[in-house]
Amino acid sequence: MTRPSEIKPREGDLPAALYKDWQVGAEFPELRFTITPDVIDEYMSVVNATPEAYVIDGRRAAPPNVVAVYLMAVMYRKYPPQQGGIMIGNTFTFYHPIWADEDTVVVGTGKVEDKYEKKGRKYICYSVDFTRDDGQKLTRILHTSAFPE
Amino acid sequence: MERIIPQTQDMFDAYGRLNGDNDILHYDPEYARKRGFRGTLGHGLMYLAYVADLAARKYGKDWHYRGEISVKFIAPVCPGDELKVSLDDEGQAQCESQFGKTLVGYARLI
Repeated sequence: MTRPSEIKPREGDLPAALYKDWQVGAEFPELRFTITPDVIDEYMSVVNATPEAYVIDGRRAAPPNVVAVYLMAVMYRKYPPQQGGIMIGNTFTFYHPIWADEDTVVVGTGKVEDKYEKKGRKYICYSVDFTRDDGQKLTRILHTSAFPE
Repeated sequence: MERIIPQTQDMFDAYGRLNGDNDILHYDPEYARKRGFRGTLGHGLMYLAYVADLAARKYGKDWHYRGEISVKFIAPVCPGDELKVSLDDEGQAQCESQFGKTLVGYARLI
């Protein structure tokens, strides 16, 4: 099992990437991790998920957004986090269930899509694609955050 | 569809333990107030998950194969907030606390 905290640098542990360091088009190194039934159960608990909403043809599935807890770990592999970031928005698109009764090896990749300053705030937009290690596409995420520096 | 989910610091901490988020905005109220907020901030992706849960109930199996959710976080959520999460028949989503709207967006099939 891969807990997100095992693969994600903690804010403040490394010198933070600043707005000036981000380069549009830069790709994040591939991140490989395993989503296990334990992680899915914990995720469902912390987001108050409704268990009966995640049964497909009699089989338990995870909330497809469970990959959200690994999102920043992908980005942080290239740009270590700074304190005080504020999440602005996200778009998640789902392509295939993540089954809750088995381990799923997932590969996360992504890149910086845009950066801009507006009304004194510094915005970063990036995308992350999560696929199974057999190539099955799972989820695509477009993300925007604002950072203080 | 709607749910009311009262917000607590314990909930923020539990989400942070899972995703490994150590940003002090989520657990240091003094720092958060210095930044101009009422208190510590809940994790944005926790609120996306609240809306996604309503969408999973609404769309069933299809949600996993062709669901799309898009949200913007327009105001902070702090401990003590009573958060109402809603998704209407057209797929428009929002979260609202006693202080006003905190999230807007949609959840639909593509």
